[in-house]
Amino acid sequence: MKKIFEIALGVVTSVGGFLEVGSLATSAQAGAEYRFQLLWAVVLGTLCLTFLTEMSGRLAAVSGHTIPAAMRERFGFTFFLIPLTLVGLVSLLVLASEIGGVCLALQLATGIAFPWWASVVAFAVWLLLWKGTFGLIEYGVSLLGLITVAFVVAAVRLRPDIAELGRGLLPSLPRDDPAHYWYIAVSILGASITPYLFYFYSSGAVEDGWNESHLRLNRVVATLGMGFGGGLAAAVLIVAGLVFAPQSIRIESYEQVALILTPLGRAGFWLFVAALGIACFAAALEVTLAMAYMVAQGMGWNWGENVKPRRAARFCATYTVIVALAAVIVVTGVDPLKLTLLAMALTAATLPVAVVPFLFLMNDPFYVREHRNGWLGNGVVLAIILLASILAVVSIPLQIVGGS
Amino acid sequence: MTHLVRDVLDSQLLDRHDLEMGKVDGIVLELRAGGAPRVAAIETGLVPLARRFGLSLARRVERVIVERGLPVNPDLRIPWAKVKREGIEIRADVDAETSPAYACERWLRDRVIGRIPGA
Repeated sequence: MKKIFEIALGVVTSVGGFLEVGSLATSAQAGAEYRFQLLWAVVLGTLCLTFLTEMSGRLAAVSGHTIPAAMRERFGFTFFLIPLTLVGLVSLLVLASEIGGVCLALQLATGIAFPWWASVVAFAVWLLLWKGTFGLIEYGVSLLGLITVAFVVAAVRLRPDIAELGRGLLPSLPRDDPAHYWYIAVSILGASITPYLFYFYSSGAVEDGWNESHLRLNRVVATLGMGFGGGLAAAVLIVAGLVFAPQSIRIESYEQVALILTPLGRAGFWLFVAALGIACFAAALEVTLAMAYMVAQGMGWNWGENVKPRRAARFCATYTVIVALAAVIVVTGVDPLKLTLLAMALTAATLPVAVVPFLFLMNDPFYVREHRNGWLGNGVVLAIILLASILAVVSIPLQIVGGS
Repeated sequence: MTHLVRDVLDSQLLDRHDLEMGKVDGIVLELRAGGAPRVAAIETGLVPLARRFGLSLARRVERVIVERGLPVNPDLRIPWAKVKREGIEIRADVDAETSPAYACERWLRDRVIGRIPGA
């Protein structure tokens, strides 16, 4: 019975790692401009993510070590510095956009401009990490995150054309401005396959004390959790396609995205505000923890969200500094939508460094013993590495050519 | 058989109470006249870590730590005799809490983190 509740790890990872400000923005933009034509990118991103999440959980359950720890241990400190720096910097931008997302939700609700909220939100994130346990964050976010199902309700109510949805599952070329189309496709993939998500999930498995008896559960949790997040992102895309595309609204600010749930009537606006606020807050918790985990585990420090702060002083100091830095970025008043899209494109650029280690770690008998990847797992990792390399090469040029 | 780079270098270091006390940042070999080199100790700390990028960087890091009296561990050597390989971890028969490896942890706990309410 207790194991059923472990599903919360999958849901929290996916609400915070999937339906956060990045996927919300990229999916809404994709739907508004290309209707269902980019649905394939959401599905592809979800599939890749499910496999990598399952692997991170398996590594953690069998070895008791997380992905960042294993990267340092197997590839050495000189290699580890590369993902540490790249993923660290990009995650800081992602964190700033998540905090920005919560601030925007508060701005939409109160009318007070978002930079004013930055320090309040950052403090709330910090306080929850300081006082809370991993379980509290896990269950709290999973429960509150269910409000995001509003997007699925809206998508069903709008009765999308099933045949058109089906066509969206296959990649197709746009009529004009291919650079912009591919830019959004890359941003969707970047917003879905985020390295901090695996770091968080594998650390969560260690925090929750998983062992080899959790392997089957891990498979279920990864599939259901990521499927849940992917379904939500797809719902956002579908709703945006039906609400914005007919009026040819191009998404240029989050205030426009706020109208997405109008099919649900007057409550739609408030549902959107709540969903945006909760999903981004969850993501902010997740990114902050993921970065602190990455530093602490890479350096071999004592760490943990379930111990008192004084029992893991360096770990707590790390997340404190990270939250403060991200808050400073938000206070400067940088356009949150632009920041989000930039962070997602840069995430895509860092993917190869984050994914290549999976190929070696998931076949390393010292770490995963007999639970090594089969041909399917290795084939998928190879395919993701190929995809990630293409994304890494094209993401920054596309940002310049197709970004606006 | 133990493969020094694969199985020891960069591995997680645990103390005798299962406390994480850093990674193995360096390995010290002792060259003996006429004999094969022998593993003398493992090292953990910022200086051996910096040494992996070059000797001059390591010297600079050491100078800054010593001159400014920074509360971090420059270099802790643990004799090989006190070290045991356990699976993918390295167990050292020392007490992390009182060792230099926890210099930064202790300083942060006593001066910063421990002073914030709720710690």
